[in-house]
Amino acid sequence: MSFDTPAENKAFAEKFNFSFPLISDTDRKIGTAYGANADPQKGAARVGVIIDKDGKIKEWHARVDARAWPAEVIGRL
Amino acid sequence: MLNPGDKAPDFTGRDHAGKTVKLSDFKGKTLVLWFYPKADTPG
Repeated sequence: MSFDTPAENKAFAEKFNFSFPLISDTDRKIGTAYGANADPQKGAARVGVIIDKDGKIKEWHARVDARAWPAEVIGRL
Repeated sequence: MLNPGDKAPDFTGRDHAGKTVKLSDFKGKTLVLWFYPKADTPG
């Protein structure tokens, strides 16, 4: 998720051949709801969230490493 | 910030292929989300 446009995310996804969707949040509504819009002058904070099967927050982290964290989470789920 | 046990805020966004993605699409599944500041930037 980022505040980029779908076109910017498409270029990013194609460059790295990502296997997951990159979601645009250009109006920052999602980022605000999830605590990732700490500074409206800047891009999203690197918040990481795990949502359980019942739609509840399992983990919320203020800053995660976008390279390592998703793989680490998927490995232990 | 959100706390464990909070209801995840509903969302609707568009993915990089132009498809609409909603929180409810993942009902019954565990979902991992992460935010990044700007496409294709390190750090």
